[in-house]
Amino acid sequence: MGREKEKEKPSEKALNLLRSRLTDPNFIFRPLSDYPDSNYSKLKFIISTSVTEACNNSILLLGPRGSGKVAVLELVLSDLLQQYPEGISVIRLNGLLHSDDNCALKEIARQLCVEHQLLFSKVASFDDNSQFIIAMLRECGLAHKTIIFVLDEFDFFAQGKQRLLYSLLDAMQSVNSQAVVIGVSCRLDVDQLLEKRVRSRFSHRKLLFLSPSKEDTERFMEHILSLPVDSNIPHNYAAEFNGRLKKIFSDDRFKELINTYLSFNFTIGHLVRFLFQAVSYMDLDVGFLSLENFKTALSSNQRQPKLECIRDCSILELYMLVCMKRLEVKEQNSYNFYTVMTEYKTIHDSSQTSDNYAANVCLRAFEHLLQRQLINFIDNRGHNQSVEFRPVKLLISSAELHQGLKSYHQCPAILLKKMDR
Amino acid sequence: MDMEGSPQVTRRTTRSCAVSSNDVESTKPSESYKPTLNDLAFGKQPFGLEDLLSRFPCRRTQILEFLRLLGPLNSPLFPVLVYGGPSTGKTSVTLQVFRHLNRPFIYSSCVTCYSPRILFESMLNQLLFHRKDSKHSYSSVKRCERPSDFVNYLREALENVISSLKGNSGKSNSKMSGRPDGTMVYLVFDNLECVRYWDKSSTILPFLFNLYDILKMPEVGLIFISNISPDMYYLNIGYVEPIPLYFLNYTEDDLRHIFMVNQTNRKLYASFLDVVLRPFCRVTRRVDELAAALSSLFKKYCEPLSDKEVAPNEEMKRKLFSQIRPHISSALNETFQVRSQPLLGAEANKTKKTNSSKMSGILEDFDKIDFHMSTSAKYLLISAFLASRNPATLDASLFDSTGVSDSRKRKRKASEKSMDQKEMAEQELHMKGPGTFPLERLLAIFQCITSLAEDSLDEEESRELTTEGSSRGLMSDVLLQLSSLCNANFIIKGGSCPLEGSTRYRTAVSEDLALKVARSLKFPLSKYLYRR
Repeated sequence: MGREKEKEKPSEKALNLLRSRLTDPNFIFRPLSDYPDSNYSKLKFIISTSVTEACNNSILLLGPRGSGKVAVLELVLSDLLQQYPEGISVIRLNGLLHSDDNCALKEIARQLCVEHQLLFSKVASFDDNSQFIIAMLRECGLAHKTIIFVLDEFDFFAQGKQRLLYSLLDAMQSVNSQAVVIGVSCRLDVDQLLEKRVRSRFSHRKLLFLSPSKEDTERFMEHILSLPVDSNIPHNYAAEFNGRLKKIFSDDRFKELINTYLSFNFTIGHLVRFLFQAVSYMDLDVGFLSLENFKTALSSNQRQPKLECIRDCSILELYMLVCMKRLEVKEQNSYNFYTVMTEYKTIHDSSQTSDNYAANVCLRAFEHLLQRQLINFIDNRGHNQSVEFRPVKLLISSAELHQGLKSYHQCPAILLKKMDR
Repeated sequence: MDMEGSPQVTRRTTRSCAVSSNDVESTKPSESYKPTLNDLAFGKQPFGLEDLLSRFPCRRTQILEFLRLLGPLNSPLFPVLVYGGPSTGKTSVTLQVFRHLNRPFIYSSCVTCYSPRILFESMLNQLLFHRKDSKHSYSSVKRCERPSDFVNYLREALENVISSLKGNSGKSNSKMSGRPDGTMVYLVFDNLECVRYWDKSSTILPFLFNLYDILKMPEVGLIFISNISPDMYYLNIGYVEPIPLYFLNYTEDDLRHIFMVNQTNRKLYASFLDVVLRPFCRVTRRVDELAAALSSLFKKYCEPLSDKEVAPNEEMKRKLFSQIRPHISSALNETFQVRSQPLLGAEANKTKKTNSSKMSGILEDFDKIDFHMSTSAKYLLISAFLASRNPATLDASLFDSTGVSDSRKRKRKASEKSMDQKEMAEQELHMKGPGTFPLERLLAIFQCITSLAEDSLDEEESRELTTEGSSRGLMSDVLLQLSSLCNANFIIKGGSCPLEGSTRYRTAVSEDLALKVARSLKFPLSKYLYRR
């Protein structure tokens, strides 16, 4: 492997570098946070003041998925840990995993033990854990050490009785402690979900993470995708790569492409995944990014799954779908396999087609449609009926079905005729 | 932090086990295999790109795209979702790509791991190199039910594996020693659509999709394989979607290409495919179903040929075509049937007879049921069918003691309004399906039918059956037969009656099957069926 590394092409090195950059949230959000007015600086100010002034605090970070809330928070925390190595201890909880109070307390106790090199017992009860946590809070308060609680997916903690939130916030107020509670959530109204007693103990600080402006986005893309001049990539290759990249960025078609993508997925997280796809499609023999890569990435993101499903169906399955559509048009809102079969037989009686198959074959086609989720049972609990009698509904609209039939290769004309009526 | 050892499970001993425990101990315990780091790779000799592409004839674009997304060695990636219809090669392509790249991966399917606990434990077993064997009573290395525990164990296990991989990569060429390449570990989740039907799917599905963000380890790659498109995974908390990779269904040309692989006589098979592929593709385009249907048809196609190796010319092709043509339509109607073995032999015997009986031979097979059932089970099946189809009020008239069974409905001239009403009623019947009946009604009908049957049997034969305790002898079997019919899904347990609280049953067989069963018993079923 060592021998092969030297023969690595510069394009491969560039590909590796770009891919690792795009998957590293620290690298992505640091340039966006360099402004004095950014969320990064605000957050850093809030947390560092509570550390230095030894007071409690709470804050909510809100924004859509992929806007970098946790990434910016991690940047702030890593900077602060460098600044005050003994003054901060971080506890991370996630609402998906720890929404149950027992789990959450156990996890907090475990992380505290790891941090302070204590032995953690798995069989400690809920009361033991909560007493331990309160004791730790008091001790850290006396030692002027701030404990920062990061609660990811905060809306999950706000479900149910909110015992954990209440006990944390209450402990912060009553015990002589220094703690900061940071909630991170995608729901912009998550503070409305809090109970009255919790909300009164929660400071109403919120930081909104919005998507950057267009100019910032363009600057960001150029920064991310340009190869650095001082790395182990040959200088002339890097210069040519960056030159071609600039040309692509100034191209109108590229601007249109990016606008199309960003009109649906406007967060940095989505943009980064799009760029990752485009970079992966780079042809290593050519060695440079081209507009085609971006176009392919865009088309793989703009999928029409139902139309793809229709294109994958066989002709018999299309017959079943058209029969169900006709039954819906006849105002029969619930239908099962037998009613669909009667409709199928009437179609064949009225126009002698070659696709007249037996009931067991049609039943298998029906089951294929169920598997592909083009149709679905109306209620999932009807397991005391066999498949042929359970009512189903169509999961595809008539416009999509129409479009799918039109684009189907060698679709029988009769199906289109029946759909049109 | 104290580590939990493998949990000790106490085993209950049955009587026979305790008696023969001496024999068990005397057998030597087989050497159990201890998995190591090298087991994370595919295990067989890796091959080159051209080999990979030639194994999957029509999947070139998808394989290249997948390789590009996975990237060069040690390059991090975002989660990838491979989706497409069933039997399009998603799982096999994924596994063979990992064999080609020789990178370490662990694989778990959500069909075999049907609950979160089994899924978590299977993944931890693979990462901690634990194999379930009899020494530890087939238990997993760690007991793990909750996602929070799983994340902690997973992180630990992954860090250990990655550090040992890093240690390995510093050493010499790994291709000789069968060691996997690189320092990244890939987690493959297959059949993701099954997770939607789990009890805890509302927490597990978002957990799996957000696992990449929760773990925050760049050396871990996640790959999901699913049968349904990504828009069917709607979660109300949202998630950043994985990168989609679509495996579209094969077109007719692709299917022809695939079926021609590994054929000994290519020209003969090509002429066969020219004839049959198009009609069969109208029914289904799945490779596995087509392969099963075409293989038996091909045997029939080759029958008149004495020499199977010859390449057919135009005249021979026309002759073969005219010979196979009548069989195609009947074969289409049994595309999805998988015959049991004895009938295949019987069919082969039948087709050696004259041409005229060929069609009737096939029709005869339709009339026979191809599984075994005891006589009382058959009667039970028929009684269940009658109980579901007929309304309860008619039982007295249909099954009176004299055995007279024709209905005494007066035939009135059907007016148009009553015809419409009949149609509506029939449609309602079709929508509702077969009705439910309590156990007592089933047993009553069963007794009536079997007593009729016994009367009609020959006296000599019936002496063995209709002895004094025989109807009572049949009775003791009946409840056992009923439970086996329920387990085989011939009879379904419906909901319980709201007034009495006793369970009700419902038949699950179609009219065709009931007629076949009745025909095998020579029971006049149509006389007892109530037709509106």
